[in-house]
Amino acid sequence: MPQQSLQTLARRAQVPDWGQSLPLEDTRGEVAITGIGETAVSGPSGRHPKGMALEAVAAAIADAGLRPEQVDGLMVAAGVADQLSPEDFHEHFGTSQPLWFSTGGGAMVWAATCAHTAALAMRRKEARHIVNVFSVDWASRRAAGTGTPGDWHASEIMKAHFELPFGWYPQPVYFATFARRYMHDYGLTAEQLAALPMTFRRHANTHPAAIMHERELTLERYLTRTPLADPLRMEDCCLISDGAAAWVMSPAEEARDMPHAPITVEGIGHGRVHGAPYISQQRVITSTPQPFSAPWAYAMADTSPSEIDVIAVYDCFSSTALMQIEGLGFCREGEGGEFIQQDRLYYQRHRRLGGIPCNTHGGLLSHSYLLGISHVVELVKQLRGDAVNQVESARLAAYAGFTADEASTLILKRGN
Amino acid sequence: MITPDMDDSLAGPFWRAAANNELRITWCEHCDRAVWYPRADCPQCHGELHWRALSGEATLLSWSEVLGPINPDHAPPYITGLVCPVEAPEVRLVTRIVDCEAAQLQCDMPVRVCFRTLQAGDDQAFIAPAFSL
Repeated sequence: MPQQSLQTLARRAQVPDWGQSLPLEDTRGEVAITGIGETAVSGPSGRHPKGMALEAVAAAIADAGLRPEQVDGLMVAAGVADQLSPEDFHEHFGTSQPLWFSTGGGAMVWAATCAHTAALAMRRKEARHIVNVFSVDWASRRAAGTGTPGDWHASEIMKAHFELPFGWYPQPVYFATFARRYMHDYGLTAEQLAALPMTFRRHANTHPAAIMHERELTLERYLTRTPLADPLRMEDCCLISDGAAAWVMSPAEEARDMPHAPITVEGIGHGRVHGAPYISQQRVITSTPQPFSAPWAYAMADTSPSEIDVIAVYDCFSSTALMQIEGLGFCREGEGGEFIQQDRLYYQRHRRLGGIPCNTHGGLLSHSYLLGISHVVELVKQLRGDAVNQVESARLAAYAGFTADEASTLILKRGN
Repeated sequence: MITPDMDDSLAGPFWRAAANNELRITWCEHCDRAVWYPRADCPQCHGELHWRALSGEATLLSWSEVLGPINPDHAPPYITGLVCPVEAPEVRLVTRIVDCEAAQLQCDMPVRVCFRTLQAGDDQAFIAPAFSL
C-alpha cells in the first residue's frame, strides 16, 4: 500500500467531537522492534531506577543481537524521576558513540508514540538502533514516603486550586467517579466489572514473573472487598511496583537480518481530549481518549479490530481497561460489560472463537505497574510466539496507551 | 498545603466568594459563556473574563464515596464528585456532596450549593462550596 497523506489518514480516521487525533505521518512498516529486555518486577526492592533501566537496556540490546556500541539512539520518559541519560548509558557500557536522545519515550502513551518519533529520526538518518526504556521505583518510594503516582496531579496548578481541596484526588477517585457514571448510563454491574481483574489475575497466575502469580482471585473475594473509592475495589486498581523494561527499534529492512522474527510497527495513533489536562472537564466521562487514537492507527495500518489477534490495554483501573477495549473498537461504547464476559479476554479465547485475548501477562492490575512498557514487551513476545500465555498463531497485536487526558495506539505485526 | 490560596490571582476570587457564601465562576461576557477553569483570557475571543455569581442550582454528573485510606489529607468516608451548574451545564465543578448517604444519590439529580468548612490534614480550615440534595 502506498504511503498515505495526512489528509487521507484524517479522512479515514473519523473521531467524535470532544477531542482530537494528533496528525501523525504515515510510518507504516518503517520500524521494527528487534530486541526486548526486562528486569524482575516487585514491590519495594530498594533498587535504583537507573540500575534497573540499565539492566533492561542491556538485556534488550543482547536480545537484538547487537553490541552496546551499535546503539545510536536512546528514548526515555519525561517527568519521571531518575530516567536514564546518554551519559549513564556510556558510563555503564564503556561506549562513546554519538547517541541521539529523546524524552518522548518511556511508557503510558509514549510506549506507542515513541515508535513514531523513532521512525522520523531514522528517516532523517539521525539514528538506526534506538532503545526505548522505562524504569520506575514507586513501590520503594511509596514505602519510604518519598513519592507517589499522584505527585504530578497534586502539583498541577488548577487541580491544586480546585480539586485537591475537595478530596477529588488521587487517581482512584477520578476513575471511580467516571466508573459510577458508566454504571448509571450502561447498567454495568460490579459482577460484570469483576471479569477484568479476574481474567488478568488468571493470566498472572500462569505467568511466573507476574507479581500476583501466587494470588488467586475469586468473584466472592472480589465482591466482599470494601471499595476504596466506590465502585472501585483494591482489585480494580493497579499495583504499585519497582521494575524496568526496554526495547530496541531498528529500521525494518535491517530487522530481517537480526536474530528474531521482525515485529514491525504498522500503525500509530495519538489522541487528546479537549480541555486537557483537566479530565474533570472532559465532556464524555464514560470513555477514555482512545476513540481519538485508535482510528488513526487502524487507518495507518490499513486494518481493523476484526484482524487483531491480541491486545494489551493500559489498565490503571479495571473500568479504564473496559473503556479502552471499547475505544479500540472491539465493541461499542456501553457494550463492554457484556462483551468481556465468558472468558472473552482470556488468552485461549482466540479471535476466531469470539474473544480478544487482553493483557495476557496480567496487566497493571496483576503483573506490575510499569505503566504500559511491559504491555508492549508482552505483545512482542506474543507475536514472536514466545509468550507464557501464548495466543495461538498471533500475527497482529494492538497496544492501547493512556495518560488520563491522552491515549495512544500501537499496532504491531509479525513479519516473515 | 491543600488550603486554597485566597490571594492567588486566578483562583483567589473563587475562594474569597466561597468565604462570603457565594458561588462564582469565570465568564466571558463577549461570548456569553462560562470558561472553566479560570485563565488569563477567553480561549475563543481572548477577551477579559469576569467572575459571575451562580444560583447554586446544579445537577449531579457523578460521584464517588471514598471509603479507603487513599487520600492522606482527607479522612474517609466522604463523598466527592462532579456537578454541572444549571447556568453552565458544560462546566464541571469538583465538589463535596454532603448531608446524605451515598445510597440516596442518582446521576443527574438536582443538587444545591451549601457552604461548608473543610480541612485537609492539619492545614488551615476553609469555607468551600459543597452540594446537597
